[in-house]
Amino acid sequence: MTTTPTVRKLSYSRAINEALAEELARDERVFIMGQDVGAFGGAFGVTRGLHARFGGERVIDTPISEMFLVGGGVGAAITGLRPVVEMQYADFLWNAGDEIVGKMSKWRYMHGGLFTVPMVLRLPEGAAGGAGPEHSTCPEAALLAAAGSYIVIPSTPYDAKGLLKSAIRDDNPVAYFEHKGMYGLKGEVPEEEYTIPLGQADLKRVGDDVSIITWGRMVHRALEAAETAAADGISVEVLDLRCLRPLDVAAIVATVEKTGRVIISHEAGKTGGGGGEIAAIIAEECITSLEAPVRRICGIETPVPQSTHLEQYVVPTAEDLGAAITDIARY
Amino acid sequence: MLTDELKIEIYRMMYLAQTWEQRLLRLLDDGLVSGFYHAGRGHEALEVASMVALRDDDYLLYDHRGCAHMLAKRMSMVSLFGDFLGNDKGSTKGLGAGIVHIADPDHGVLGQSGTLGGGHVLAAGVGLSIKLRKTDQVVVNFFGDGAANRGTFHEGANVAGAWKLPVIYIVQNNGWAISTPQSQVTAIESFAERAAGYGMAGVSIDGMDPFLVYETMAEAVERARGGGGPTLLEGRVVRFRGHYEGDPGTYRSKEELAAGKDLDPVVRTRLRLLEDGLRTEEELDRLQHDVDAEIEAALEEALTGTVPGRERLSEGLYV
Ligand SMILES: Cc1ncc(C[n+]2csc(CCOP(=O)(O)OP(=O)(O)O)c2C)c(N)n1
Ligand SMILES: [Mg+2]
Repeated sequence: MTTTPTVRKLSYSRAINEALAEELARDERVFIMGQDVGAFGGAFGVTRGLHARFGGERVIDTPISEMFLVGGGVGAAITGLRPVVEMQYADFLWNAGDEIVGKMSKWRYMHGGLFTVPMVLRLPEGAAGGAGPEHSTCPEAALLAAAGSYIVIPSTPYDAKGLLKSAIRDDNPVAYFEHKGMYGLKGEVPEEEYTIPLGQADLKRVGDDVSIITWGRMVHRALEAAETAAADGISVEVLDLRCLRPLDVAAIVATVEKTGRVIISHEAGKTGGGGGEIAAIIAEECITSLEAPVRRICGIETPVPQSTHLEQYVVPTAEDLGAAITDIARY
Repeated sequence: MLTDELKIEIYRMMYLAQTWEQRLLRLLDDGLVSGFYHAGRGHEALEVASMVALRDDDYLLYDHRGCAHMLAKRMSMVSLFGDFLGNDKGSTKGLGAGIVHIADPDHGVLGQSGTLGGGHVLAAGVGLSIKLRKTDQVVVNFFGDGAANRGTFHEGANVAGAWKLPVIYIVQNNGWAISTPQSQVTAIESFAERAAGYGMAGVSIDGMDPFLVYETMAEAVERARGGGGPTLLEGRVVRFRGHYEGDPGTYRSKEELAAGKDLDPVVRTRLRLLEDGLRTEEELDRLQHDVDAEIEAALEEALTGTVPGRERLSEGLYV
């Protein structure tokens, strides 16, 4: 009898924590700062234990000052350090709009490439049970116009760890969006060290009839819908983009050319949520491969309501995706 | 200590900054550089003497008001001319192109946020970096009375004070933010009053007196290097020219401007050196003549640069 080695399971939150711990240990230039990230361990417990292990000079509690968090991160990054900044909620990126778009993303470019800005901005995002309109959004697409910064949105514990380690080691600034609703999600994370290159999409499920192009927490709903569709004889491919920049255009084109039927799905509202950009790329690169009009299954275009009861109607479900799959397969 | 040699050096650098700018303005008249220039005439004492109190490895986040601080931080004049000409002789090889984006990591010149007040929080981050790296560098952040009112100042100054960071905030108070007088938008007369609210030292001085600037700055630098924390240094200065070249300046009375020009730091410092017997007329004339020649030689070299082509458009966007 042979035994297959069991791969360790870790939550999304622990996977991020482990990436942070490993990078803090590996490179003394790396430090963490944010609100309540120290002994308290962060609003969502993601940095728990790091303060005790690395001390208050590596894991720094800051005042409620988002412009300082990002702008100060840039100042530290251009003078030899590698800050990992935690925003308590991704929604607060607007509080530091100029620091993210004008400073973090442009400092290197506008100063003729004389500096590097090796910083990571961790942004806990998404609807996760009644946090309300100002603490529940998925604003990753807001940074699409901020050329100079990368945009990473991991969907599994494995990706969360591997992508964060790459982000910390990258010399470009990275906005790293982690969905609050996935912190408890468990998945396989090997003991051995690994990294995942930025800008490579992951084909989460192979299929022939319909493609779902998605990222973040919607990856799981897409996989659930694909499973259901398989029972009805529709073979669905699920492509997790993992990064909006660098964007894996080749992977998008490949899946479109393969199935000809495309659903784009994200949690943010349909308008301005990023899916339109993907659809435009498809139109530019491979429109003649389409057998059906592109469908977008995305968030409803209202603010995320405060009521938990109403919140559930804002984010698309596996059923919404299922209906779209049936529809587009028949087209 | 403000030695006689330092006094001469401060004067030389102020004269250089003034003359360098005069030369730049002629290039502007000739249509060789863009009109987006905010002349620093009148601000020389504050910008130069404060920088002379620094080391090469100290950091500078300059502001848009002239170039005297960068020149006094020992940036090469060729690079600076090249930056304004937008060519590859510039510090950013023609990519930053003049005010606002000039940088020189070797001399600690970290660049500028074109959105005013962006430097307030960057400076605090640089201060934190110095503290974490355990060096005894300091960082200086320049800004005007207008930019002093950005919310970023509150966030940057608060952490600088709380963590005793080696940051020196220098507000160049010329009383005007383009056409808006300070009194119309600010309740207090001196920005130094704000320092107490952040637990930092606050000083307000005559920014037209270079020797006073040097001594005040030397104290602030010593405090910062020794772990004593940040300083908010206000220098009261006069902007001799328009906000930008071509500013009609209709908002400021002729009398106010004339009274300000009587305080010319370059002219008065020359007189002081003569009165104190530190140099003779001939010696100062020779010093100025040498500076003039240096500037012309730098310009000549800068003019040989090449403007970047389209193929360099995305250079430096990503590593
Ligand atoms: C955030 C921001 N708002 C407005 C401007 C446009 N602007 C450039 S200079 C200036 C006036 C600045 O006044 P002050 O800070 O007193 O400096 P001074 O020009 O007097 O040296 C303004 C409004 C800008 N660059 N950034
Ligand atoms: Mg002013």
